[in-house]
Amino acid sequence: MIVTNIETVPGKQIVKHLGLVSGNTVRSKHAGRDIMAGLKNIFGGELKGYTELLTESREEATERMIEQARAIGANAVVNVRFSTSSVAAGAAELFAYGTAVVVE
Amino acid sequence: MAEYENPQIPEGINVSTTHPLKDFALLVGGISALILVAVLALSLLAGQLARHVPFEQERALAGSLGRWLPETPAQPVHRERQQYLQQLADRLGAAMDLPPEMTLTVHYSASNTVNALATLGGHIVVFQGLIDTLPSENALAMVMAHEIAHIRHRHPIVAMGRGFAVIFALSSLAGIGDGAMQQWLTGVGMLPILSFSRSQEEQADADALQAMLRTYGHVGDAAAFFEHIARQQTSGEPLAIFSTHPGHEERIERIRQFAQSHDKQEATATTPLPGFMKENAEKTKGTPKDSLS
Amino acid sequence: MYDLILFLVLLLLGYVFGQRAEKRHFKSIIEREQTLRDILVFSERRIPDEDQLEGILVSGNVVISVDFFKRFVAGLRNLVGGRVSSYESLLERARREAILRMKDAARRKGATAVWNLRLETASIYKGAQNAVGAVEVVAYGTAVRQRR
Repeated sequence: MIVTNIETVPGKQIVKHLGLVSGNTVRSKHAGRDIMAGLKNIFGGELKGYTELLTESREEATERMIEQARAIGANAVVNVRFSTSSVAAGAAELFAYGTAVVVE
Repeated sequence: MAEYENPQIPEGINVSTTHPLKDFALLVGGISALILVAVLALSLLAGQLARHVPFEQERALAGSLGRWLPETPAQPVHRERQQYLQQLADRLGAAMDLPPEMTLTVHYSASNTVNALATLGGHIVVFQGLIDTLPSENALAMVMAHEIAHIRHRHPIVAMGRGFAVIFALSSLAGIGDGAMQQWLTGVGMLPILSFSRSQEEQADADALQAMLRTYGHVGDAAAFFEHIARQQTSGEPLAIFSTHPGHEERIERIRQFAQSHDKQEATATTPLPGFMKENAEKTKGTPKDSLS
Repeated sequence: MYDLILFLVLLLLGYVFGQRAEKRHFKSIIEREQTLRDILVFSERRIPDEDQLEGILVSGNVVISVDFFKRFVAGLRNLVGGRVSSYESLLERARREAILRMKDAARRKGATAVWNLRLETASIYKGAQNAVGAVEVVAYGTAVRQRR
């Protein structure tokens, strides 16, 4: 599965556009991480726990998007966009969407 | 020229299929267990630490907190009662091998509350209401020995340590979740405290019986107070597991067993209470609140 | 004690009505998706045969609230971490509903396809202690129709 965030797949010809596919996930870290993050808010610096959380979630969202694309017979997803929103304190929603296409 | 179409995407890729109730049950069970264990561990630890606080420190702490303790009574008869109680406590204390630095201070309250309590710094409060319900000195000694046993085992300061630990634990949970959830969390967190106190009461009862045996040579009338309470309590007993004190029946039974295995002579002559101790034994039929604390 | 009863009643009400509403909503989403299947949606910007078409911005949005049961479960999940499955279905519903409304708007404009679709999610109302009350999803894109 080829995933790009441009209109085309470089070096390949798109033969079929299959429309929108998307993947989402909502994840949270355990309370211990939340408390550590609260402490980090005093000293500053990277919140490793949350970085990890968002990375994992984004990967899963992408995974689900790819699964949708595969289910409708596509072999590439172009013009992929990510969006992140916090639906609840400590929980992050990751959303990935793009257009499933068939390249030759 | 490429083709353009929108094939149908199968359902269920973006939604987890776990049943919400299963998720709910797992979470509630798991988190309850987690909090129980955490609070249990924390309060045990705090209790152990508090046990190592020197008794002088505890006394000093009690001095700063103990303003609510009854004053030395003004009436001569009350003073006489207080002195009598103090002597009784000292005798029992000697029988229980209290460490030398552990001194007992008995306070007398003329209130008709049916209660006696032990608190920080070796202070014991005995209420007239309690004395009026008791048939003999032995019965009073049993109640006081119970309180002295609490002090000997440092139960008041351990309870305080645990109390602080639990308050700390629960207030750190306060930042999480909204009203209903917090309430539930607090309820779960309180459970271990109740069971602790039960084992402490049983320990105090056992020690008090030993002290009785050593002081009087028998344990006659030891169950008098609990029998009195059991008689008075016509309404159904609250669930035994949720009350800090063992059920009265259970206690009476335990005392009987102890008496059977330890009393040598059948004739257990009890020492009567001095006449000045009774206020008006006939009139006091006040409903007993909770028994010993 | 009354608090506990109230809480359990709210939980039960939230569960029963929330689940029912969700099932019904999913059913209606699937039905309407079938009727709007002829409107194609792409997230690409390159529109084929641009010179014969005209574009109009179309959008659709929806705000969906979280029921008490889901909120409680999500709160618990927040303590231990992991996938908050109760919110996933909520967002899925909201997103598909927003796209459907956008497609509906496109149809009313006489368009046959929507290009460069974008989706935004926001939690617009925060209840006590930042517990989410509702999510808003907006979908927008360029609908194209034959130039008249």
